[in-house]
Amino acid sequence: MKEPDLTARLGPLTLKNPVLTASGTFGYGLELKDFCPPAALGAVIVKGLSLSPWPGNPGPRMFEVPGGLMNSIGLENMGVEAFVTRALPPLLAAGATVGVNILGRSPEEYGRLAARLAGTEAHFLEVNVSCPNVAKGGAAFGGDPRAVDEISRAVREMGGGKPFLVKLTPLVSDIAAVAAAAEGAGAAAVSLINTLPGLAVDLARRRPRLGGGLGGLSGPAVKPLALRQVWLCAQALKIPVVGLGGIMTAEDALEFILAGAEAVEVGTATLIDPRAPLTILEGLKDWLRREGLPNLGQIRGALRI
Amino acid sequence: MTASPAPLIAFGRLRAGRRLSADTFWLDVETPAAESFRAPGCFLKLRGWPEPGPLLDRPFSLHRVQAGGLQLLIRRVGPATRLLCGLAPGRPLKITGPLGRPLTEIIPDPADFYLVAGGVGLAPMALVLDWLRESGRRSRLFYGERSGRHQVDPAWLAAWADDFTATVDDGSGYGRPGLVTEPLAEALAREPRPILACGPPPLLAAVTGLAERFGVAPWVWLEAGMACGLGVCLSCSLPLKEGGRFKVCREGPVADGRTLDWEAA
Ligand SMILES: Cc1cc2nc3c(=O)[nH]c(=O)nc-3n(C[C@H](O)[C@H](O)[C@H](O)COP(=O)(O)OP(=O)(O)OC[C@H]3O[C@@H](n4cnc5c(N)ncnc54)[C@H](O)[C@@H]3O)c2cc1C
Ligand SMILES: Cc1cc2nc3c(=O)[nH]c(=O)nc-3n(C[C@H](O)[C@H](O)[C@H](O)COP(=O)(O)O)c2cc1C
Ligand code: FES
Repeated sequence: MKEPDLTARLGPLTLKNPVLTASGTFGYGLELKDFCPPAALGAVIVKGLSLSPWPGNPGPRMFEVPGGLMNSIGLENMGVEAFVTRALPPLLAAGATVGVNILGRSPEEYGRLAARLAGTEAHFLEVNVSCPNVAKGGAAFGGDPRAVDEISRAVREMGGGKPFLVKLTPLVSDIAAVAAAAEGAGAAAVSLINTLPGLAVDLARRRPRLGGGLGGLSGPAVKPLALRQVWLCAQALKIPVVGLGGIMTAEDALEFILAGAEAVEVGTATLIDPRAPLTILEGLKDWLRREGLPNLGQIRGALRI
Repeated sequence: MTASPAPLIAFGRLRAGRRLSADTFWLDVETPAAESFRAPGCFLKLRGWPEPGPLLDRPFSLHRVQAGGLQLLIRRVGPATRLLCGLAPGRPLKITGPLGRPLTEIIPDPADFYLVAGGVGLAPMALVLDWLRESGRRSRLFYGERSGRHQVDPAWLAAWADDFTATVDDGSGYGRPGLVTEPLAEALAREPRPILACGPPPLLAAVTGLAERFGVAPWVWLEAGMACGLGVCLSCSLPLKEGGRFKVCREGPVADGRTLDWEAA
């Protein structure tokens, strides 16, 4: 039988398959290459980058909870300059399709990041809006459609036409409204969910489990919420939706596609087994063969509620 | 400089287990990949409990590599270690490693050493002793526990550590009552030697202080919660004194204690 066609389209981008790495779980793209060659994936999305290097939060930075992982890495990263000069060239040379996750403290910072990446060969940007807005006392941008609109416009204006995804935070009252703001401002797609904000408590010591205080939950525990938010966005938007949150197996990925996702990202699963994105990709192919389907089009968004 | 061994994912089988104290277990894991794990100072990550169990694999030091198997020393402190210490022989295990940089790379030219183990910090010391013995170096092991119930079977310890001094904080077990840093300080005063220490952070900070006083190098196994063990998640990143950060899973787990910012960590 013919190899199933797995290509995925994110606006102007055509990816060879719909399996991407989730930012923060695949380093700068080459660390896990012996387990999971980056060129085999639809794209590699690298750790979130800021204008200058960030040191991140004090430890402990992770804590396991039932079915999930809490982290407060605090967005430690090498800074966009080091990435562009040192990490990006070998990643491109390895044949990867590269998505650069960016984070800023103001719309202006997002614009400057987009401008710095505009002239590079990186294929697209993923704009992480789950960051504290310094001008608004640290409240996340991601809950406010106006802030998402402002950031997206800054990225579009400064990004020299490079396609961008807006990565949404799940803890908002109207996810479709936030996603619509990204769509209206020219995003090629939205990706969701980022980690679910949470708190883990150390009762014996009467303090938070994580050095950063609050943290973000990922892993199987967030999958039902992620599926709901992805489904709502897929219903409301014309642009594609990239789904993630607790995808551990090919079946999990297929559930997101059934709920309307064009592509998926794999995060926490890679921390457990560095081959996870590849295993999930192989699982998608096997499933299509077993079902006798030529591509994912027949099931994409086919979920009726 | 020898290159770090490339980590691999291997399957093993629990061959034997033995209880060595109230809460410390020795596990012997048979695996065809055993020889690839002969990397003193390194660790692996392990899973093998009935699923769904704990989400993340758990990191453990390589205690020894012998007879086509890996040996581990595990203290029961929570859900995953409880499950691992209760597994029946024959149980399949998934092993990822060796992880971290081996001592052969960090310290290519080893000297005579004092080894210091606090509690289950004893785990990596057997492979380290094998390496020092093969390098023609002398070593003496200081092993401290809080109380006698945690102390491992002394006959088992004597079988692989020919020169050791045991201490017990509360005087309730074998060896000398008090802190492990006391006989260490005396030994350093008689004959200064560099130190290799594994144990809880207060012990490592104290050892680093002693080493600075006696002008010797303190090599310590750093402690940090880990998710990936492979350098991608930054769970284990610690601040360095001179600025910059140290990824314990990738650049460690052993580091010169003087380079670390113990206050900020
Ligand atoms: C590189 C490395 C090597 C290790 N080698 C060994 C070894 O050889 N033998 C051994 O028994 N243990 C070792 N550990 C610690 C071991 O990984 C943990 O005890 C284990 O993960 C606990 O899992 P759990 O589910 O049983 O308990 P959890 O519920 O995960 O933890 C129980 C308690 O232990 C604490 N804890 C868990 N992990 C750590 C950690 N990494 N550092 C400090 N405190 C922790 C938790 O905060 C909690 O209080 C090592 C850890 C690392 C990072
Ligand atoms: C350790 C860790 C680090 C992360 N770092 C980032 C980051 O830098 N930027 C970002 O947009 N998301 C980051 N995330 C969120 C993930 O990309 C993903 O959105 C989330 O974990 C949910 O997917 P999962 O359940 O498959 O892990 C991080 C997640 C984890 C666990
Ligand atoms: S444990 Fe993930 S980077 Fe060290």
